[in-house]
Amino acid sequence: MLAAFADPVFDSQRTFRELLQAMARPAAPRPLPVLPPAPAPVAPAAMAILLTLCDATTSVWLQQPSDEAVRHLRFHAGLRLADEPQAADFALISEPAAMPPLQRFGAGDLRYPDRSASLIVQVDGFRSGAEADRLRFAGPGLREPVALAIDGLPADFWQQRAALSARLPLGIDLFFVAAQQVLALPRTTRLLET
Amino acid sequence: MTPSYNFAFLDEDTKRMLRRALLKAVAIPGYQVPFGSREMPLPYGWGTGGIQVTAALLGPDDVLKVIDQGADDTTNAVNIRRFFARVAGVATTERTVEASLIQTRHRIPETPLREDQILVFQVPEPEPLRTLEPREAETRTLHALGDYGLMHVKLYEDIAQYGHIATSYDYPVLVDGRFLTSPSPIPKFDNPKLDRSPALMLFGAGREKRLYAIPPYTRVESLAFDDHPFEIQQWEHRCELCGSGESYLDEVVVDDRGGRMFVCSDTDYCGRRRTEAQA
Repeated sequence: MLAAFADPVFDSQRTFRELLQAMARPAAPRPLPVLPPAPAPVAPAAMAILLTLCDATTSVWLQQPSDEAVRHLRFHAGLRLADEPQAADFALISEPAAMPPLQRFGAGDLRYPDRSASLIVQVDGFRSGAEADRLRFAGPGLREPVALAIDGLPADFWQQRAALSARLPLGIDLFFVAAQQVLALPRTTRLLET
Repeated sequence: MTPSYNFAFLDEDTKRMLRRALLKAVAIPGYQVPFGSREMPLPYGWGTGGIQVTAALLGPDDVLKVIDQGADDTTNAVNIRRFFARVAGVATTERTVEASLIQTRHRIPETPLREDQILVFQVPEPEPLRTLEPREAETRTLHALGDYGLMHVKLYEDIAQYGHIATSYDYPVLVDGRFLTSPSPIPKFDNPKLDRSPALMLFGAGREKRLYAIPPYTRVESLAFDDHPFEIQQWEHRCELCGSGESYLDEVVVDDRGGRMFVCSDTDYCGRRRTEAQA
């Protein structure tokens, strides 16, 4: 079996601070400080997030629950696995092209919109800058709109997310990981029309 | 640092619970996230919410500043600063510009905050509607529906009775146009600093077991009416120690013959200005 964080207290603290800043300043890729070993199909960056945030009180849905990944996560984080996306606090999407529609994840309750899913999506990469294929985002945490492209998402992903954003403050919060980087899109980040 | 404690006092399960709640709080600006508030080595009402948020954030590289009503040298501030120096071994400072993490009771520093700083507020009552509606189930519904008529009626009654909005601290704000939020009992003088702040602001209420957040660069609007716009306090005095005409002033009684003076409530700001004036 592979190891987890070499220094659980400080590695998870440093990872959390990056996740907090990622959520507070959306659509900007940030490097994660520690990449723990991770069995396929879990990416090391996704493993860092799971080890930082999940434990026996959270349920996690794995899109591709390989035996090794399940054993590893159960041993190191003690987390519960959810059978259905709807029941998950966290979901790990390891093959975004085949991911279930966003509507299948919990978006919270109007009195408790925090009881909603957080998705960790392993994507191919991010591209920022002003080129034509970039999407533009605005919302809390962004001083001005930012341009960004995320590679490897299903074709109708942004339509699904736009449909969800009509239900604010209900919604789903997203962490995208690629290589060593993490980027967050909370429910409040709006996709601007071009 | 006292070695018999886990780093920053709380156990790792509690920190993870707080961290999950903080991420949801940032994702839903101004919404109060319930959390499992722990018993701390000081009573509820002394900043246990802020302390738990700080403990979940704190790392060995942080430089911590703690203020109480703007002052670094009052009992609550000194105790909390010593607490974290002891259980986390972190560096502490009284200077706003040196701090990476600032825990505050009832003030926002006069020195503008930066993007790399986080401000943690101690909150006694996170629910702005609580004095108007005591039932939690009902206030949750009002937030769900975005129905804030009660608060507007309260402000209107102030105007009808006193000719102006008489709320001078804990002045309600609307965050990102959606959630009515308590800014904690900061003077309304500080409300404009909440709007589009470069620094992330986190709020913890230990007794009420709620935490919430205002992300950076988020629209924060103090409630008002078109014909009664929001106004902040103004003084006829300047600070008698540093001469500032822009900071929030405390009135201090200095003798038993009615003598009083006005001084900055932010001790770091006032001290720095006096040092600069001497140089």
